[in-house]
Amino acid sequence: MATNRWLATGNFFSTYKEEQRIFLTNIDRLTIWSLIAALYAWPLIFQMSNKNMLVIDSILVAVVAVIGLNMVTGFAGLISIGHAAFVGVGAYTAALLAASWGESHAILTHAWPLVILFSGLVGAVIGGFVGLPAMRLKHLYLAIATLSFQMIFTWTINFMTLFNQGQTMPLPRVFWLTGKVVRKDHYFFWYFVILTVIVMSGFAVRNLMRTRYGRCLIAVRDNDRAADAMGMHPGFTKVYAFALAGFFAGMAGAMHAYLFRGAGIESFSLHQSISYLAMAIVGGLGTLSGSFFGPAAIQFLDLQVENLSAWAGTILGSSMNLATALRPLTFGLVIVLFLIFEPRGIANWWRITRSYFKLWPFRY
Amino acid sequence: MRNRRVIIATIVGAVFACVAMTGSAFAGNTYKLAISLAITGPTSDAGNPYSKGVGDYVKYVNDNKILGDDKVDCMIRDDAYKTDVTKRNFEEFLDEGIVLYMNYSTGSTLALKKDFDEEKIAVLPASYHAGNLLDSNYILLPIPSYSSQVIGLAEYVANNHKDGKAKVAMFIHPSAFGRGPVEDLEKAIAAGLNIEIVEVVEHGKDLDNTAMIKRLQSKGVQYVVCHTVQSPVATFIKDAKRLGVSASNFGEAGKMTFLGAHYTGGNDLIALAGDAAENFFWTTGFMLTSVPGEGTDFQLKLAKTYGRDDKLANSHNYTSGIMVAQVAVETIRRALANGKAVTKASLYEELLAMNGDNSYDPKTTTGPVTFSKTDHEGVDKLQLYRASGGVFKGEGAAFVPEYVSKIK
Repeated sequence: MATNRWLATGNFFSTYKEEQRIFLTNIDRLTIWSLIAALYAWPLIFQMSNKNMLVIDSILVAVVAVIGLNMVTGFAGLISIGHAAFVGVGAYTAALLAASWGESHAILTHAWPLVILFSGLVGAVIGGFVGLPAMRLKHLYLAIATLSFQMIFTWTINFMTLFNQGQTMPLPRVFWLTGKVVRKDHYFFWYFVILTVIVMSGFAVRNLMRTRYGRCLIAVRDNDRAADAMGMHPGFTKVYAFALAGFFAGMAGAMHAYLFRGAGIESFSLHQSISYLAMAIVGGLGTLSGSFFGPAAIQFLDLQVENLSAWAGTILGSSMNLATALRPLTFGLVIVLFLIFEPRGIANWWRITRSYFKLWPFRY
Repeated sequence: MRNRRVIIATIVGAVFACVAMTGSAFAGNTYKLAISLAITGPTSDAGNPYSKGVGDYVKYVNDNKILGDDKVDCMIRDDAYKTDVTKRNFEEFLDEGIVLYMNYSTGSTLALKKDFDEEKIAVLPASYHAGNLLDSNYILLPIPSYSSQVIGLAEYVANNHKDGKAKVAMFIHPSAFGRGPVEDLEKAIAAGLNIEIVEVVEHGKDLDNTAMIKRLQSKGVQYVVCHTVQSPVATFIKDAKRLGVSASNFGEAGKMTFLGAHYTGGNDLIALAGDAAENFFWTTGFMLTSVPGEGTDFQLKLAKTYGRDDKLANSHNYTSGIMVAQVAVETIRRALANGKAVTKASLYEELLAMNGDNSYDPKTTTGPVTFSKTDHEGVDKLQLYRASGGVFKGEGAAFVPEYVSKIK
């Protein structure tokens, strides 16, 4: 039995329940709660421009989406190349509600948390449906099935007048306790909303992974036949993994649409699906912390390359379209380098750092 | 001794203060403009020269003191043709306090339409999509819309075709940008325009159009009106030439005559399609350097001053960039001349007053720029050009499409 709840050193688990604690030590608890408090507090202390706030909000939206992708690809081991389409389902759900009821409808402007939740549920239903082939397909074949969904989604949005043929479908500004959230506060407000969703999602996923429903995802990923022999239903588990991924993606999509005040197909393209996959790989597949690190790293990199290629575009001749090539080149290079040198992603660096402090005062 | 030092220090201080005050009194004001466009990524072949046109003209204004001691600071940002990035850039521009904004793509112009209205800021986009003007007060198209251009081309076909009703196919971009003018052309036909649309083709990324050309030929199509970007048109007309179906003069029987709106033509089309571009009819609201004039001379001089190569100097996208910057600077000049503070509101007012005797002729366009409360399309006249001997040459005088007003 642990006698010191502040250090992991010298403490041994004597029950499974103890091993599944969310916070192993009080230091863990203190660190996480301090980090969350800091994340909520810093925008109140430091003044950020709308542009920078929008960048941060975009990273947070990607975090929610990558949490979903990690459920299906990281924890359940099912490759999904159509994740942006699931995000798009959420965004277009919110946009369709606005188009059907009118932009100023109270549900959209005042009950927006319900709209986000509903978009998540629609994402879950579509995710579960798209996941049905997972009952029969594996590996590359399943990847192609998800790619098909991405293609069908893009085509449907691009050609159906119901979806404005891919052009932006507008969403209204929302109301909060203080009244209408105008441009000045828009990104600031959505920062707190998305952060709250991330905190709740993070704890929900952490808790889920402590339950049999979470463990069966990993069991099916590691060996679905063995999982079957142990009494789990691999087919159902895979479909449910897709539904979970669709739920998080749907919520991310609705928040993206509210943040950008509209849904347009361009934000949910195949390229974006690949970006989400890159975020999950760079962050660390099958880890919750990887879902936070990946989007931040990739989007930060993207911003730097964007600046670099814009600069290159101004000094290079218009006929030498080298600047355009810089972005995909850098993006691809980073993924390849991570796959070669750190396949477990940034989350592994975090794990090593934590282990060092966990074992302190002994040497790592 | 001590008093002497104090006196000297006081005099030096006073001199410095006077110089500083004099300096600030003559420093002039700086007015911020901005543009977000595709310097890299898709359509950067148009966006890159466009950005240089804007940048060079603004440099010219500052270097030659066109606004006296006042300066123009134009922020030019790359959005790589991504609406999300355009939105981010626009937020940055607003934080910087811009007084007028120049946008680029159709997608981002439509997506930010509500923001423009909310911020009450006049916007001059590089997208001439008529849909930009719907439910919008602050978007002003520099030249006639794509719809006007396509109707203008169709009118030219109707007026010059012999033997009854002309059979026309439309070759369009698979997006709102491409689809927009189709509906308006159909309205013009319903209003009496004497052509028949046989088929509307939304192109993909095909590298061979043989099947499509054969199909159109079997339907008796004699004219193809293109509204997309240059590369698919280049593939199309090269295939038509290979199959021997390109008309060698307008309306040649049994062959196809190709016509296109603003983004289908220019030197880039000739570079891509080579001699297959011969006899391609193209319309735009800009003057071309292949047709010398006051505006084009200025353009070439500007390009030379700022060390631009020949390709860029002769690009109509460079002209387009210069033109929007000309309009923006002229609006500022007029606001100052009328004793107004240069703000978003005063520039919008000045733009809407740019009509009648107050219209503005930048010389880089086929006619004067006119805006009013009810007219948000700047230049009203279109010029038809025809590719001949590897350059686009003017075909007749600039014209105003007749059916545009009939379908409004």
